[in-house]
This record gives sequence, structure tokens and C-alpha cells, in this order.
Amino acid sequence: MAQVEKFHYDNAIVRNFAYATMIWGLVGMLVGLIIALQLIFPQLNLGIAEVSYGRLRPLHTNAVIFAFVGNGIFTGVYYSLQRLLKARMFSKVLSNFHFWGWQAIIVSAAVTLPLGLTSSHEYAELEWPIDIAIALVWIAFGINMFGTLIKRRENHLYVAIWFYIATWVTVTVLHVGNNLELPVSAFKSYPVFAGVQDALIQWWYGHNAVAFFLTTPYLGLMYYFLPKAANRPVYSYKLSIIHFWALIFIYIWAGPHHLLYTSLPDWAQSLGTVFSVMLIAPSWGGMLNGLLTLRGAWDRVRQDPVLKFMVVAVTAYGMSTFEGPMLSVKSVNAISHFTDWTIGHVHIGALGWNGFLTFGMLYWLIPRLFNTKLHSEKLANTHFWIGTMGILFYAIPLYWAGWTQSLMWKEFTPDGFLKYGNFLETVTQILPMYAMRVVGGTLYLVGNIIMVYNLVKTVRSGSFISDEAAEAPALVSTHGVHKGEYWHRWVERRPVQMLLLATIAILIGGIIEIFPMVMIESNVPRIESVKPYTPLELAGRDMYIREGCLGCHSQMVRPFRSETERYGEYSKSGEYIYDRPFLWGSKRTGPDLQRVGGKYPDSWHFNHMLEPQSISPGSIMPPYPWMIRDELSLDILPKKIKALRTLGTPYPEGYEQIAIADAQKQAEQIAARLKKDGIELEGLEKKEIVAMIAYLQRLGTDIKPKAQATN
Amino acid sequence: MFKYILENAGNINWMAIAALITFFTIFILSAAVVLRKDKAFIRKMSMMPLEDSFSQPTETENRHEA
Repeated sequence: MAQVEKFHYDNAIVRNFAYATMIWGLVGMLVGLIIALQLIFPQLNLGIAEVSYGRLRPLHTNAVIFAFVGNGIFTGVYYSLQRLLKARMFSKVLSNFHFWGWQAIIVSAAVTLPLGLTSSHEYAELEWPIDIAIALVWIAFGINMFGTLIKRRENHLYVAIWFYIATWVTVTVLHVGNNLELPVSAFKSYPVFAGVQDALIQWWYGHNAVAFFLTTPYLGLMYYFLPKAANRPVYSYKLSIIHFWALIFIYIWAGPHHLLYTSLPDWAQSLGTVFSVMLIAPSWGGMLNGLLTLRGAWDRVRQDPVLKFMVVAVTAYGMSTFEGPMLSVKSVNAISHFTDWTIGHVHIGALGWNGFLTFGMLYWLIPRLFNTKLHSEKLANTHFWIGTMGILFYAIPLYWAGWTQSLMWKEFTPDGFLKYGNFLETVTQILPMYAMRVVGGTLYLVGNIIMVYNLVKTVRSGSFISDEAAEAPALVSTHGVHKGEYWHRWVERRPVQMLLLATIAILIGGIIEIFPMVMIESNVPRIESVKPYTPLELAGRDMYIREGCLGCHSQMVRPFRSETERYGEYSKSGEYIYDRPFLWGSKRTGPDLQRVGGKYPDSWHFNHMLEPQSISPGSIMPPYPWMIRDELSLDILPKKIKALRTLGTPYPEGYEQIAIADAQKQAEQIAARLKKDGIELEGLEKKEIVAMIAYLQRLGTDIKPKAQATN
Repeated sequence: MFKYILENAGNINWMAIAALITFFTIFILSAAVVLRKDKAFIRKMSMMPLEDSFSQPTETENRHEA
């Protein structure tokens, strides 16, 4: 028998992450509520760049994903890892570096995103210096985790730890893969891949951010905290092993389901669909494993708010993992894509699965960290019901809105014309649903405020156990013991081998998708008439990125009659070869812009950007007065041209030297046309608006037949 | 257009088939291995979250923050 060793668990780091989870949860949800209100009251954009919808939307998604859920993950991991391994965290310095580094990254995101500093890759918007900081902090977390694994006192690794290991390795691979970019300045970069390739990489990342940041670590937390709260072991440990391997193997393939009916090659779309449909098996295996853990304890679910939150969380996981495969079926996706159905779907996951599991964990954890009882179970139950109502009021109206709008987009009159030819009609129709969504979001936020109050009172009534005493036998060497035993039992004792196996499992899918993607670079049909952007168009494009226009406008006409009738010729992959980054978007709150070039006169765009409602009464688009007020900065253009040439855009050698003059010439031409239409403004050719007009007027025109001169 | 890409991207059908075969092989193998595991070991593993400490420390052994 090995000697029993005494040691202490580090609870301080757990408490810090728990506090951060509570604070950032409030911030992220508040920003979500603000942007939901902006969609029904566009005047709430206030005409101020930093608080306009396009810039705040990525702040909301980043705050909820990386600040609220991210800190939630670390809270649970730092608590459960120490206890499952019967060891204190490897390094206090690394724990603190991780905590403060992560909070600094969140603060830098909260500053840079409203300033419009964004790479425009959804959920990876932060620019390159912050990307590097994320990598450093993530590596510190990894060293700390593996250091703890090495000095553990428990031979075997519980399944929750496998999920943590898979999360760490996959997020590392995804973060590096999706942020391969060439810096142009301190806060501007261009991605290495363009167009279709960039789209595939982005959604390989985007989907797996959902998989390996919002799901696998939370499954680890489920497998630890649910048995804890229910005080009974997981229903089937065997099922959890199959759940783990099947899930991490399949998840990584599913990214292309975000790009169905786009210009992505068909084989990649099919691969995404097949694996997405297969995902339901391990996902539901995991969900049932969670729910069945409560067998014989359902009477306690009625009493215990912690279990209530966890049951709804696991049920929401089941709902969204049923819906995900369904939305990946092409015929369903044809209806759902670009609509609010997707927004409803992700919020079942975010509010139900991540939110409620976090709340359940915090209600269980905080009293134990502070050696006391929860201040008020009644308030926790109130939170539960308000939160549940919030989820329903949020999601159901958006499902309704998604279906309604999609069917309106696709409806034709008996004469063969679009019944709702004006896109705006399909938006005003669903505004009542948007209002109900605000009610749902408000309820959810109120519930969260109640929780924070309840937990603060709990903290005040207790006494914090910073170092919790524990004892366990020292780890006995097991060299040679594995002879004749099953391979998996052998693996369960070896974190490094587990890391390697998990890496192989996730790389198979990634490589098979990405390898042909690099291959098809030479196979995307080149279109002779597609040329690189002019310097002024490039400046305008970067403004389009800065303002987050892709949050509401797609640039991808799908090959449906309802879309080609509304927008024009469907999109070809060859049209995007100079698009760094790609700007296909994922939601149409406004119409697609791929063929907007040449559709309206320059003056239409000028007036529309200044006051959208003056051109389209009832529009919910924010105004952009600063584009008319602010001077256009062209100084950086030569650097941008050089960077893009390095990446493969065929700008001639030395073009950067005349780029500014070229841009000024084009700006003067646009200003002259605006003047002709009666828009008088001193120094108009030097304003930002001319660059935006240049870009919008270019969109989709490369393959449009030029109007023939008539005699 | 897709036909054109497929024709020019080389023979890539094997990738999808290989992926499917790999998945099912791993899935069936892990299921077979898991189902053969001995019950005592599985029970021990599943109890792990419920046995955080070798023995429960007393209240005074915990270091409280002032």
C-alpha cells in the first residue's frame, strides 16, 4: 500500500474564474439585449460608429462564447481536474497567468471590436496581436493541465478529463489554422487563403468552435458535475467512452454544412451533410447518458434547483443536437439558411445547454467553495423558471420568423414573379417576432441578475476555503501491469497517449477536408473577367469589414430560382479568388449584396448610408453618418497592395507606388457623379463614403455583361 | 460546374469512402472493446467523481481565507 500524502486543492483560481463567469455573463447578455433592441428600434444605433449593430454583434458573440462560457469552462476544469487527479494544480503562476491573461484578452476584445478592428471571420474576429496573446494563454493552460496530469495521484483518467484533453488539442489546431494571416499594420491583416478556401477554413473553425469550445468541455463538466449533484455515478460509463471517441471523430468533419448550396464544391458539401447527420448518434447517446444518470433521483429534481438547471441543460443539448443534423440536410437548409431559424437554433444551445449548465454548476460550486449554504433556494428556483421562460420566448418567435421570412423569400405569384419582390416587406413582417425575442432575452438576463445577487449573498455569508485539504495514496508505478489488459484501460492511464490518439482522431477529418481544399485552389474555375479590386474599392471593402456589414448582408446568391430572380446570376467560386477575407456572411437581415453593383446610382448609396429610412421607409438598417463626415485614410494602401501581392493577388510590381493616386482619381470620379445628382459637400472626394460606394458598385459586376451602347 | 471541379480535382471519391470506413472501424472496435471491459473496473471509474478525496478532511484542516 502506497503512503498516504496530504495536499491542498487550489480553490482560489476556481473562485476567480467563477466570478469572471458571472461578470462576463451579465456583460455578454446585456450587449445581446442591446443589439436585439437595435433590430426593432434602429434609432438606438445613435448614429455612433462604436455602438452600431454591425460592431456590437461580434462583441456579443465573443463575450458570450469566450468570456462567459470560456470562464465557465475554466471554472469547472480547475475544480474537477484537481479532484479527479487527486493533485493540486501544477503551477500557481501558470494558473494566475491563465486567469489574468484571459481577462486581458476579453477586455482587449471589448475595446477593439467596437473600434471596428476585426478580421471578419465569425467567432475569430480578433486581430492578429490578440490572436497571438490567445495562443500564449492557451498554451499556458495546456502546460498547467498536463503538468497536473503528470503529477497526479490517480492512475486512471476519468472520461471528463478526456473531453478536456480533446478540447485543448483541437482548439489549438483550430485557432492556428483559422488565423493564418499576413499582418499589414498593428491591427490589420489579410488571411492567407482567399474566397472558397477561406470559407471552408473559416467554417471548419466556426463549426468546431461550437463543437470543441461550447460542447466537448461542457460534456466533460456534465460528466463530472451531474453525478456530483445527483450523488450517483453516470448511467453508463461504457456509453461515455463510445460517446467520446465517436463524437470527437465525427464533429471535425461537419463544418461544410454551413456552406450548403454555396460555391463550395459539392463533394465537400456532401461530406459535411453525411457527417452532420451521423452526429446525432453520439450526441444523443451522451444526452441519454446524462438524463439516465438521474434514474431514481427524479424526485430530487423537483426540489433541487441545481438538478433542474442541469436537466434542462442536457435536454437543450439533445434538442440542439437533433436540430443541427436536421438543418444540415440540404433540403431543410435551403429553407433555414440565412434566416433567424439558425439564430434560434444556436440560442437553444447557448442559453439552454451552456447557460443552464453553467448556472447549475455555479449554484453547486459557490456554496462549497465558501463552506456555506446557498443564500436562497427560492431565488434559485425563480431564476430557473424565469430563465426557462426566457429561452422559450427567445427561440420560438425566431423559429417562426425564420420560416415566415424564408417562405416569403421563395413565394411566386401565379404569373411567375416574386410575390415579395421588396426584401423589406419580409423584414417588417417578422418585427413582432423580434420584439418577442427581446422579451425572452430580457427574462433570461433578469434571471441571471437574480443568480448573481443570490451568489453574492451566499459568498458574504460564508468563509472562503482557499486551500482545501485532501489526502490520497501516492501514485504507484504501473509499469508492466498492462500486460494482457485491454488497450483502452492502458490508454486511460496515459495522458500523453490519450492526447496523441485524440489528435489523430480530429486530424483525420480536418486533413481530408483541407487537403482537397488546397488542391482545388488550382481547380476553382478561373473567370477571365474577374480582376483584383482597385485601391479605392479595397479601401471600401475594408470599411465594409470594419462596420460588420456581413452580420446582416450575405454575398452569396444560391442557385435557386427565388434567389436568381431577386438578386441576379448565382455566385461562382471563381468570382471570389481575390476576396481576402471572404464575405459570404451567414445571415440575411438585409438583402444579399453580391449583385448590388450597378443596381442603383451612386447618389442612392450616399443617401441610403446617411439615412436608410429616407430611401427605404421602415428599414431597420443603422445610419452611417460618420462615413460622410470622416476623411478617408489612404496612407496604408501601398502596404495593403504589397501584402495582397505577397499572398497571390496579381497587382503588378510597383503598383503600390501609384495606388494612392489611382484611388484619388476614382474618388474624384465618384464625387463628380454625386455632385451631378445634386449632392454638394465640400471635399466629398476625400470622404470615406466614396470608398464604400466604389466597393458596393463593384460587387458582382465582374461577370455581369456590360450594357451595350445603342445607336 | 461541380462536375467540372470533380473531374479536375483528381480521384477524390476514395476520401469520402475511406473516411466512412475509418469511422465505422473505429466505432465498432471501440464499442467491442468497451463492451468487453470488466464490470469492476467500469464501476470504479464511474464512481470517481463521487470519491474526490481518499478520506474527507475535517473542517479544521481546510485553510480559510481571512
